[in-house]
This record gives sequence, C-alpha cells and structure tokens, in this order.
Amino acid sequence: MGTVHARSLDPLPMQGPELGVHADDIEPPDMEQEPKQEILENKDVVVQRVHIDGLGRTKEDLLSYEISDVFRARNLIDVMKRSHEARQKLLRLGIFRKVEVVIDTSRGEDALPNGLDVTFEVTELRRMTGSYNTMVGNNEGSMVLGMKLPNVFGRAEKLTFQFSYGTKETSYGLSFFKPQVGNFERNITLNAYKVTGQFPWSSLRETDRGVSVELNFPVWKTNQTLKWEGVWRDLGCLARTASFAVREESGHSLKSSLAHAMVIDTRNSSILPRKGGLLKIHQELAGYTGGDASFLKEDFEIQLNKSLFWDSVLSASLWGGLLLPIGDKPTSIADRFYLGGPTSIRGFSMYSMGPQSEGDYLGGEAYWAGGVHLYTPLPFRPGRGGFGDLFRTHFFLNAGNLCNLNYGEGPQAHLKKLAECIRWSYGLGIVLRLGNIARLELNYCIPMGVQSGDRICDGVQFGAGIRFL
Amino acid sequence: MSLAADAFVSQMAAAEPWPESATLYQPLKEDQILLSECASSLAVQAYLRMCGLPVQVVCKANAEYMSPSGKIPFIHVGNQVVSELGPIVQFTKAKGHSLSEGLDDIQRAEMKAYMELVNNMLLTAELYIQWCDDGTAAEITRPRYSSPYSWPLSTILAYQKQWEVRRKMNAIGWGGKNLEQVYEDVSQCCQALSQRLGTQPFFFNKQPTELDALVFGHLFTILTTRLTSTELAERVRGYGNLLSFCRRIEQTYFEDRTS
Repeated sequence: MGTVHARSLDPLPMQGPELGVHADDIEPPDMEQEPKQEILENKDVVVQRVHIDGLGRTKEDLLSYEISDVFRARNLIDVMKRSHEARQKLLRLGIFRKVEVVIDTSRGEDALPNGLDVTFEVTELRRMTGSYNTMVGNNEGSMVLGMKLPNVFGRAEKLTFQFSYGTKETSYGLSFFKPQVGNFERNITLNAYKVTGQFPWSSLRETDRGVSVELNFPVWKTNQTLKWEGVWRDLGCLARTASFAVREESGHSLKSSLAHAMVIDTRNSSILPRKGGLLKIHQELAGYTGGDASFLKEDFEIQLNKSLFWDSVLSASLWGGLLLPIGDKPTSIADRFYLGGPTSIRGFSMYSMGPQSEGDYLGGEAYWAGGVHLYTPLPFRPGRGGFGDLFRTHFFLNAGNLCNLNYGEGPQAHLKKLAECIRWSYGLGIVLRLGNIARLELNYCIPMGVQSGDRICDGVQFGAGIRFL
Repeated sequence: MSLAADAFVSQMAAAEPWPESATLYQPLKEDQILLSECASSLAVQAYLRMCGLPVQVVCKANAEYMSPSGKIPFIHVGNQVVSELGPIVQFTKAKGHSLSEGLDDIQRAEMKAYMELVNNMLLTAELYIQWCDDGTAAEITRPRYSSPYSWPLSTILAYQKQWEVRRKMNAIGWGGKNLEQVYEDVSQCCQALSQRLGTQPFFFNKQPTELDALVFGHLFTILTTRLTSTELAERVRGYGNLLSFCRRIEQTYFEDRTS
C-alpha cells in the first residue's frame, strides 16, 4: 500500500481565471511495481473523506462547495483530476497563498478497502499586505500607498485601499469585494473613489468623486454586470489658453447612472489571442436616479481571431457607440466618446479626431472604428522559445469616424453621416506582450482620410495600454 | 501674469477694435445670482455703457467656474476672457477707451483710494451679510447658490462656499464682527462717499469714471435687493445725494433696461 502524492506545482498567481496550468501538467504517480500500476488505474475507488488543513480565519462553508466535486470521482485518475480542479478553484478565491493536495488510502475503523482520503493543505494569505511607492512624473511627484486585506471576514471578501498624495493632486480609492458563498462568479463590489485626470488634447482637467455598486453574475455563457454609479464631476480648464467651448463646460455636475454590460469572451487570452472571439455590449442610462446628467449611452466591442498557417493570427475588431441626450440639456464633454491614438486609430494623435474648437477636441456623440490585423512572429524568429515569444510583428489597417449626430433626422441620415469623412490608416509594427494585462506597440503608420482639424502622428508611433483596436 | 505676458496681452488686445459680439457672463438672474455678484456685474455693465461699448449679458449657471479668476462677472471679447472690474478697465484702456484720462495724478490716486474703500468695505459687508449671517445664509444665500444643482451636490457646494467665505472673513479680521458693526461700517463708507460726491453730478465733476460705475453697481443693488431685513438698504437711503446719484445714472445709462 503505497502512498500517492499529487504535489502542487510552482506557486501560481493569486488572481483570476488565467492560471495557465492544465490537468496534463501533473506529474504521473510514482508507482513501485509495474503490475500494481494497472490494477490501481482501473480499480474503482470511493472518496471517503476530504479534509482541508491549515484554515485560520476562513470559514468552512465557503470551501465545501469548491471541493464537493471530489467526492464524485470513481477511479484513481478521476480523483487526481478532480482534486486538481478543486485546487484550481480554491486558488481562484484569492485567499490562499499555496494549496497542496495529498491523496492517501483511508484509515480508521470505517475505512473501505478501496477508500481514499483527500487532504488539501492550504496556507492562507496574510491578513494585510501593504505597498508603498513614490512616483515622479512631469513636474510632479507623488506618494502612493496601497493596502489589501484579503479574506477579511473569512468568506473570500477582499478590501483594497489605495491612496495617492501628490504635489498637484490627491486621489484615493476604496473597494470591497464579496463573492456569493458557493458561487464565486457571482459577486458584488462596492467602490468609493476620487480620481483626477488631465486631458491635454481637450485642455480639460477633471476631478471625479464617486461611489458605485457593481453586481456580476454569469448567465449561461455570458458574464453580466449591473452597476449603479453616482459621481460628482468637477471640470475645469487645464490652461488659460483653453478654447471657450471647453471653458463653457467648466463647473460641477452630478451623474447618477445605471449601467449594464454583457461580455462573451471565448478567446484563449486577452492580450494577443490566437483564437476565439469577444463580444462586449455596454449601456448606461443616466438621469433617472437623480443627478444633473441625463443621457442614454450604448457601446459595443467585437473581436474575432483566427490562427492561420505558420504561426500567424488574423484578427478583426469593430467598436461603436452612441450617446443620446435625454431632455433638452446638451451632453457634457466628460460623457462623449473620443477616438484616435495608438490604442484606436493608429497614425492619429491621442484622442485628436473629430469635433474640435480652437485646437481642443470636444469628443463626439457617435463613433465607429474597425481594425484588421495580421500578427506574425518576428522575422527570423530571434530568441525563440524564450524572450522572443513575447514579441509579434503586426500589419494593420484601421478605420473609423467620430461625429455628432443631428438627432432630429432619421437613421438613414445618421448612417450617412457616419459613413462620410472616414479616417483610416495602415502600417506595420512590433507588439510586445506585458504579462497578461498590457501590451506595448511600436508602429510605423500612414494615416489617410485626414479631415481638417485632426492631428496626425504619421511615421513612428509608440503606444502602451490595455485595450487596443 | 508676469509683466512681459501682461504687456503682450495688452498689445494683442489693442490690435483689434471692440467687436459687436462682446458678451458678459453672470449667474442666472432669477434664481441664482447673489447680492455681491449682482453688484459687481452691474458695476461692469455700467462702466461699459459709460464707455459706449456694447455688450450682451448672458446668464449661465456655471459662470463662476467659467471665469478664469473664479469671480463674477467676466467678459468674452473676441477670443479673450477678462474677469473683474479692475482688469476689464485695463483691457478697455488698451483698446483705447478710458474714462479716467482727463484726471490728473492726484485725482487718479484719490479715485483708486475710493475704489479700494468700496471694495474693502461695501463688497466685504455684502459678503458678510450673505454668508456669515446665519439667517440670511439659510433663507436666501444657500438656496439660491445651490439652485441649479441636484441633491446632494447642491448641499455640498453651498456649504463648501460658505466655509470658504467664512475662512476668508476670519483671515481679514471680519470674523469677530457682528451684524451691527457691519451695518455701522456700511454707514461710514456711505458717509465718506456722500461727502466726496457733495452736490456734483459725478465723483469727478462732469464726467463719470470707473469709480462712479463701481459705486452705482453696489448702491443700486443694495437698494433694490430684498434681504431678510431692510436694515442695509435703510442705511444707504440715509444719504440723499447718493440716492439721486443712483437714479441719475440709472436714467442716463439704463433707461432702455427692463427692470
């Protein structure tokens, strides 16, 4: 009677779904004798007990749902597979630093001859982790303090706090996350924040103080989000030379809005995916729960990817949005859409497209943007198998339009307006993948269809970000 | 602004004549504008009318935040934005319109002194009565100031402004005063102005100057604004020559205005 260990592998990141470890990465069980191996594999087993050792403040009822599947295993390989899945589920709760699985034959009085005991040995995360950074930027320095309290009350709740104190601005954010016990994908997040932003393309300075409540839940294959947000917005001119149109938008306003988003994501990765697609539809209705701003905002994002021959990927994406003011008040510059820059229509300066006044871009109420990319490995594949795999070359074609619609006219007129004055660009460049979140791009772009008032950046353009067209 | 930037702006201003489309911005007249803001705005309007420069008055709820200095009123002329009476006088001077050219140096110094008096006494008294007197603040000022916004932003902004004004009052030494003392100060200021005016039509005899516009703006607004008590208006009414001065300016420059 040997013991079988299914040991844990390298420590995995605490976050989210992309753990990058697959069931076939487990080492095969270390058997003593050949003939016994066959017998063990085909033998029916019953999982009698599942223990979790090493719990401190975590409550047991939270975990029983995650490990319940293990009991249903019928043979040894099945036990190992289900234990591994249960381990993944425990890790995605974000409350354990390490989870190890030990499978042993059952002992004790009521032990069956083919009974197994599965034990999860867990190490909880520390009660509080903190971080402190100093940042120095353009004429300003700031001190950033972060605090994270995972598993505050024992059921995978998480409290995060970030505070940034700078020479020019102060901002902070407090967030409380609580998943439903037994159903981690259903969760609620409460946020309170103050953020400040400076937008030189519009000569605008914006300070937002807000609270929001967000509810996430999966429905069949989609992920749905419902959110209520209340924001006090303070707009101002960034410089004395701001255009009068921007000056007219200065002042305070209150936005209270309900938003709904639906996401279907079948891609294998969010940065440089090789296959799958993304559909994201987002709508926001402001004004019916109080506040000064009153509008209906719709936008969508579609992306499709297909692997071609020779390790290259063809990717197509389409973005679009519409902002409809309700009532007779005009829309605010803080709610409108912006287009252009290394993350959307390459070859144009950041958000420097569409309606503008004296060089300040005011944003538009309707837009669409599309892109087609061909990603290939670097020519001659330097650094293959290691660092070189993070880079890709891409050839792209981007097109789009941003304008204000005259809502008195019908949809035919709207489509016509969006279809005239299309800006587009093409080019090639190198993409660098940063972890699983961001990417850097260095492109050579040739903008076309430039309208008067747009600011272009033809030639070499550098971009960094999370969401790219 | 630095001296060099100042000179440059004056040069640019002097280059263009006064356009037809000049606009003056102030808060909403019916529901929002306060005593002190109305007084300052009326002073600028009177000054521009005295110069013969046409200007259109536009009311906007966020006028205070649109202004480059945060004070009402401000004018938008061509593509320049100038706020408050002092800079506006400079600005029109650069364009070649001035009311105080005929004055000699002593008179100009005297005019500046009286304008400082009005700003330090009358304007401060108006701010005190609006924001530091609890009755007026609760009944009139805070509701008016917060009227364009929805709850809870309205409450937050009104109290924020009140704290700011009270802090400023404390800083200049008016925090310890009570209402009686403030009315006394107003009376004294009116007495000084009345004595200077005497029986002349304007402060500097025949021609109006920016001092006349400033005094008119404040006194006329005090006389015609309804507050929780009529004490302030009564104090001003005690000086007959100031009353006739206000009436005279109103009739001469504002007769086309609908009250």
